[in-house]
Amino acid sequence: MLVGLSDLGHAYLGVLNFWSLLFGLGGALIGVIVGCMPGLSATLCIALLTTLTIKLPTNDAILILICSYVGTLYGGSRTAILLNIPGTAANAASCADGHALALRGEAGRAIGIATSGAFTSTLFGVVCLAAFTPALAEVALSFGAYEFFWLALFGVVMSGSIVGDDPVKGWLMGCLGLFVAQIGQDSLFAYDRFTFGIPQLAGGIALIPALVGAFGFSEVLITLADPIERKIVEMRDSVLPRFREVIQYWPTVLRSGVIGVLTGLMPGVGEDAGAWMSYAAAKAVSKEKELFGKGSIDGLMAAETGDMASIPGHIIPCLALGIPGSAPSAVLMSAMIIHGIQPGPMLMINHPQFVYDVVAMTTLAMISILIFGLFLVKPLLAVMRVKRTILMPIIFLLCTVGAFAGASRLFDVYCMLAVGIGAFFLRRRGYQMAPFVLGLVLGGLLDKSLRRGLVLSDGSLLPFFTRPICIGFASVTIITMMLYIPPVKSLIKSVTGAMGRKLRASATL
Amino acid sequence: MSSPDSPAADPAAAPHQTEIGRRSDFVAALGWIALGGAILFGSWKMDRLESQDVNPYTVPGLLPGLLGIAMMLLGGWLFLRSWRRGGHESSTGEPHLSRPKISIRQLSLAIGLCMTFDIVLIGHGLPFWLAAATFVSVAILTLQHSQRKATGQRLTLRALISAVAIGLSAGLAVTVVFQQIFLVRLP
Repeated sequence: MLVGLSDLGHAYLGVLNFWSLLFGLGGALIGVIVGCMPGLSATLCIALLTTLTIKLPTNDAILILICSYVGTLYGGSRTAILLNIPGTAANAASCADGHALALRGEAGRAIGIATSGAFTSTLFGVVCLAAFTPALAEVALSFGAYEFFWLALFGVVMSGSIVGDDPVKGWLMGCLGLFVAQIGQDSLFAYDRFTFGIPQLAGGIALIPALVGAFGFSEVLITLADPIERKIVEMRDSVLPRFREVIQYWPTVLRSGVIGVLTGLMPGVGEDAGAWMSYAAAKAVSKEKELFGKGSIDGLMAAETGDMASIPGHIIPCLALGIPGSAPSAVLMSAMIIHGIQPGPMLMINHPQFVYDVVAMTTLAMISILIFGLFLVKPLLAVMRVKRTILMPIIFLLCTVGAFAGASRLFDVYCMLAVGIGAFFLRRRGYQMAPFVLGLVLGGLLDKSLRRGLVLSDGSLLPFFTRPICIGFASVTIITMMLYIPPVKSLIKSVTGAMGRKLRASATL
Repeated sequence: MSSPDSPAADPAAAPHQTEIGRRSDFVAALGWIALGGAILFGSWKMDRLESQDVNPYTVPGLLPGLLGIAMMLLGGWLFLRSWRRGGHESSTGEPHLSRPKISIRQLSLAIGLCMTFDIVLIGHGLPFWLAAATFVSVAILTLQHSQRKATGQRLTLRALISAVAIGLSAGLAVTVVFQQIFLVRLP
């Protein structure tokens, strides 16, 4: 405990120097700017910055990435409020109430609420990050191949179920991501799988070019193909953060903070789930339900608090288990691996200080968004006014550089193009990219764990279902999938309906 | 749990999440089944490394084969669902109503410009800053020209100069920041 506190103190002292502050503020500023641009996601921002910071020392690079992660989600609320387009997927829940407030001439107030909610919830998340990551990593030390197999599968299944409107399409995308991760030399025997004699494919499809294609190039195409250019709402009132309203709505802030962190802990669920669940919970207990969607302060506060609290929540499993909680945290995890830090149960043994460094970095990110929320309102509005015909070619230029820079191969640029065009058409047909990304990141772990597990058990599947932690993960994974099978769904409905009727009948007697 | 998040979360999918074209799902399901089948076939035919005395439970095609089966099953599920909803009928008239409108002209233009930049302009000896400046300037001019044409406006000299200036600034800024400051190699 005392060692942990001492490490935490060292971590905070470590970021209190000119360069760290500059990198942190710079990363957060880039994040906020990217977040302000409709459609450009935190995943793209972190992927591009990973290539930019590839030559920097590990801690400086990760600091920039974490600050940009937090900044992007915060910046996305501006677009949601002023344009009614979520800057990132996580800000979708803020659109209805935030934009309604803006249309009433209270855009500044809405931005102020978003700033104060974001600051408070990130603070709550940081406390959870510091408290739970070492504990979870200790538990994870008892995990073997069987547990990691289920954990990886659980992440992809949950992501497919929750992200988007159609679980079947989500799971298909998860399978596609897992399959793409199998392309190239396998990890046990270096055997070329699905390379079709193309030597560049032996190394597999690199994660960063695939992500830049899926989230960057496809977004460029979506934006340019949209015939309508959205108009920004004018802002007349003050944007000063409303901490008075945080105190007034403290139950919402606390509830949404807890929900955000808990959803963050679930692998593959994404920040938007935190925002929507917090929003739904706030609506369920609110006395002013009718105001939700029409400019409710409670609703906006819940949505913004939920998505921002889920960021530290997502970093917890990423560090402790090596299983990312969302697409942006998957890129963050890849960046850590590129810089020689292997997230997972061994992290607390190999790099114990790093966990606390991440806590300090997230704190710096939180302070940065408060500073930008206060002082950079007008310049950020100017960013949102830039025409898409100017912005998108520049974004594509960055996508090309981002795809190339990792391994200095033109092949990666071609992969980015192929993935981007494929992602554009898939997204238009209702397929989400997050399960694909999770599949791509977890494919290697799933393959290794399955084969190692089978060797250890001499081909028996029993240990996959009988070990205590496996039972939990396997049950949740299988039940989650079963719940969407129509006959099972109607059976559950009829059983729960009958139970409800019996309970009501006994209550009336 | 499949939440209301996506409609707003993904602008590409926004208005058509619940009423996605049944015909499109029907065709896609066939594609998924074919892909799953091809993966399963490829995994089955994959070398099992018996000559190296490899444990049969660790053959390289194990997980890809299982994924192929999963894709076929999920594709079959999608197929049955879209069949029940009438996706096999040749004209349901829904896809066009439910999917957000896109400008095919703008889309083709964007894909063409981006592919020209990545395949033709870079990696063939042209300095990156020049290739980038050319791409950004031409892309801005072409995309704006396409929009102006739709509204009956003409391209002005001012717009031309500003596009070239933006292109040059972007090309030089990206080159300086990535190559000179952060020491990242450029194509």
